[in-house]
Order: sequence, then C-alpha cells, then structure tokens
Amino acid sequence: MAARALLLPLGAAGALLLPLAFGNPYALSVVILALLYAYLALSWNLIGGITGQLSLGHAAYFGIGAYTSTVLFADLGLTPWLGMLAGAVLAGIAAVVIGLPCFRLRGAYYALATLAAAVILKVVVENSNELLGGPRGLDVRLLHDAPLYFQHTSKLFYYYVVLLLVGGALAANRWCLRSRFGYYLTAIRNDQEAAAALGVDARRYKLLAAVLSAAMTAIGGTFYAQYALFISPEKVFGVHLSVQIAVICIIGGRGTLWGPLLGALLLLMVVMRFEPRGVIALLGRALSGSRRLSGKAAKVRREAA
Amino acid sequence: MTSILQALFDGLASGAIYGIIALGLSLQFGVMKIINFAHGSFLMVAMYLTFWATSLLGLHLLAAIPLVVAVLYLVGWGTQRWLIEPVYRKEATREPISVLIFTTGLWIFLDNLFLVLAGPDYRTPAGDWANGVFVLGDLIFTYPQVAGLVVSVLVTLLLVLFMRYTRLGRAIRATGQDREAASVLGIDSAAVYRTSFAIGLAILGVAGALLLAIFPVDPFIGDLFGVRAFIIVVLGGIGSIGGALAGGLMVGLIESLGAQFLPITYSEALIFAIFLAVLYFRPQGLFGVERA
Repeated sequence: MAARALLLPLGAAGALLLPLAFGNPYALSVVILALLYAYLALSWNLIGGITGQLSLGHAAYFGIGAYTSTVLFADLGLTPWLGMLAGAVLAGIAAVVIGLPCFRLRGAYYALATLAAAVILKVVVENSNELLGGPRGLDVRLLHDAPLYFQHTSKLFYYYVVLLLVGGALAANRWCLRSRFGYYLTAIRNDQEAAAALGVDARRYKLLAAVLSAAMTAIGGTFYAQYALFISPEKVFGVHLSVQIAVICIIGGRGTLWGPLLGALLLLMVVMRFEPRGVIALLGRALSGSRRLSGKAAKVRREAA
Repeated sequence: MTSILQALFDGLASGAIYGIIALGLSLQFGVMKIINFAHGSFLMVAMYLTFWATSLLGLHLLAAIPLVVAVLYLVGWGTQRWLIEPVYRKEATREPISVLIFTTGLWIFLDNLFLVLAGPDYRTPAGDWANGVFVLGDLIFTYPQVAGLVVSVLVTLLLVLFMRYTRLGRAIRATGQDREAASVLGIDSAAVYRTSFAIGLAILGVAGALLLAIFPVDPFIGDLFGVRAFIIVVLGGIGSIGGALAGGLMVGLIESLGAQFLPITYSEALIFAIFLAVLYFRPQGLFGVERA
C-alpha cells in the first residue's frame, strides 16, 4: 500500500524531469506527440471506453478545436488560450448535435454514423475557402516566443503543457470511474436496458459523457494547431485520426484508467524503435491486442455467468 | 440536356461498380452480422493484384479478373478461418464488436503494408483498353464504363440466382436468418461463414478490377471506397443483394447529377448527409425489410 502511494508522486516527478534525459529535440518531439495521443485516447475513453459507445468520429471534435482557436487568432487576434475554451464549447455543442441522432443507434451503427458526421464536417471545411482556407489548410501566424499566445520556440514549453493536459485527463477519467456519474456510464455500457429499468436516464448520461469527451478532444486540437503551427482538413478531420485515437485506447485497454496512456506509450516505443515501418509493427500489436481483449471479455462473462 | 444525359450515364456506370463493391460487404454483414472494416483495404488489394496482373504478367484487364477473383477467394477463406473466426467465436452470443475492432486494425495494417510493398504512387492499369471509347451522337461511353455496368449487373444477377437456387446459397441464407435453427438442421455455420466471407471477397475481386479501369489505385484508396461501401449497404438495406446494387446506383447518381447543380466537392457531403438521414428515419434501409 505504501509503495502504491509513492508511485504517483514518483511518476509525476519522473515525468517532470524526463526532458533532461533527452539531448536532442527530435526525441522530445516524439514524446510530445505520444503524450498528445495519450491525452486524446484518455478523452475518447470517457465515451468509447467507460460508456462503451464506439465513436469513430472524434476527429470532428479535434478539428473543431484546432480550427476554432486558429481562426479566432487569425481574424480577431484572440489568444489561442481563450480560443481553446471557445473550441471546447463549440465541440461540446457539436457533440450534442451529433449525439442526439446517433445515440438512437447501437454498436456498429453508432460507429458508422459518427464516422459519417466527421466526414461531413471535413468536406464542409474543405469547401469553405475564404474563412477556413479550404483543402490547403491554415497557417498559424508565427510569433516565436509568446507563451501568452500559446507559442514558443522551445519544445519544453509544449512538453509541460501536454503533460498538464494528460494529468487533467487522467484526473477526469479517475473521477468518472469513481463517481455516481461514472457508475451510471458503466451501467449503460454493460446493459443499457437494465440501466434504464433502474432509472438511469441513458440518453442524458450518454450525451453528458459525449460532451465532456468532445470538449477535451477539442482542447487537444488547439494544442496540435499551436504545436504544428499548420492545420489542414485531412490532418485534423481525417478518418485516420479518428481510428487512431480509438485504436490506441483499445490497445491499452478501454474503460480502464491507465490503459489509454499505456497504448500511447506502446506507440511511442514502436515509433522510436522501428521508425518508418513502425505503423505496421504497431498494428501487429493492435491485432493481437483486440484478440486478447475479446478473450478477456469472454473470461469476465464466464465468471459473471 | 446532353450534359444531364451524360451525367446520368456516368452516374449509373460508376454506381454499378460501387454497387458490387458493397455487395460482398452486404453478404458478410447480412449472414454473420459482423462489420468488416477492412473491406476497403481488401478492395485496394484487389486493385493492386489487377495492376500487377496487367503490368507484370501482361494480361488484359478483363482477363485478369478470374485470377484476381481466385486469389481473393483464398485470401477471404484464410482471413475468416485463421483471423476472424477465433475472435468471433468468443463473442458469438453478443453483437460481435471485437470483430469490428479487429478488422479496423487489419484495415490500417493492410494499408501500411501496401505502402511499403507498392510505394505511395498512383497506379493505372497497363494497356490502352481503358482509354477506348464508344461515341454515340454527343454522348461518350468509355470501354471501362460499359464493361463495369454490364459485369456488375451480371454479377449481381448471378449472386441472386446462386442464393436462391443452389443448396449452398440456401444454407447461407438460412444461417443468416437463424443460426441456431440452421445448426439444428445440420448446417455447419462455421463452414458457411468461411464460404460467405470468401465469396464476399471474390466479388470484391471483380469490383477491384473494374474500378482500376476508371480510378487509379494507391495504398489508401480503401478509405474512400470502403466507407462508401458501408453507406451503400445501409442505404440498400443490410443483407439485401438487389438493395446493394440499387444503393450503389443511387450513390453514383447523387455524385454525378449532384455535380450538375452543386460544386462537385460537396457531393461527398451530400452522400453522407443522405446516409445519416436514412440511418435516422429508416434504419432498415430504403429497400430492406424490418426484422424483429
């Protein structure tokens, strides 16, 4: 017990000091991206893992976050820190708009509908040349060292920001897993009819989880825009991003607290180790991962029966 | 007027090919109730096989079809037997969501495998056949369009006849309607699943060859057509063979006729919006029958 109590502060201290271990900025940039994916997978976990609604359209919220802060900064000069919050609010609204029709559907149909919603958003952005830059995308105006405007030439700045995001997402997930709200969500995942029969308003709680998950994902989108300083519809609204977020969470173990983080760390290790062929190697793991997962699920059911 | 007629024909020709792309998916979906997200990637594999058959073996594109079909049939059988079956068996009692996740992994894996094997370039089939045209007044029909239309309708008809009048076809339908009851009557459902998955991919082999004649292939082509195939299956009604072709023709027509009235880049959004509307108001599909 004492060892476990020490684990958290030790891990946090390790994460804070980690950049000292890297001489070159390249390694740090890989770590930053892995942490961003961890953050996105943790956000996805709220709806895809804990609530069990397999969303394949999270790129929609990521894109909304990236575009909202970038457009507000370019056109009104609003700092992306505030644009980030605006993006989160917009993504939350989008989650309600997408969720109201989609939550009537179950399982695979829900997955397809969310995927379609993200594609529609992508096409709309690709077609809005004046305001959103069309298929070419948008540049974020370069300010060099301007932390108040969410920009810095040092990668350390982004490392600590993303670390903070991951910490926040972990806290949100932990709260969800331990609270009455989270128990409702888990009940809906396990058996929506049974949960409804016990008085859980399934639609309402699914929507709440979706809004929270979407808002968090949008914050990740703003971070990406400020880190890469360039966004395009394909990059931030693409189907691949949606799938990747879900796959990382699933490899690590969906519905668990540390699973999404683990999935992203696996990705990190594979990228560092194999470089160009990393994706193939990663997916080799993804395939075996989902098989292991289903084996585990079957075991749990057997025990329950 | 001519432009509308031409658009109508173009829409029907590409729509027929979309239809048979969706056909295999509808069969798998209808019989096994599994969602195969790797469908688009298998289409990409079929297109590359066709490309290699024309460029390396020097075959005519149409002559390559039987070869591609045979290979895809074997790939389908093997995929079902050694990859999907072990996952499926563990979840057979519920909606098989793990299969969905598994095939999603397979999708990304295959795409990246072919990125390594074939490189990122666009490929078109060798030979001039694909450039040939018939001219009829002001209208232009390319050879691949005509072949696509004829072969797609033919394949759909054959599949309908197969499902209706052969013993195996009836076994497949019986398993799709009620697995338990079919087992009681002595039908080996695992064998039926392998065969239907393999047939689904074999049809995809035809579709891949026909599509390559009108659309260049690259490793990520499956994203575009795979997602579209799902839309067609849902539009047409899951498990309905004629519905898949009708859904395909519909998407083809929306695409080509929509381009007459809207900026062409919007047609994709239009298709998805119609898809969402159908999913919301008529989840059994436009041509499907409501089931309990």
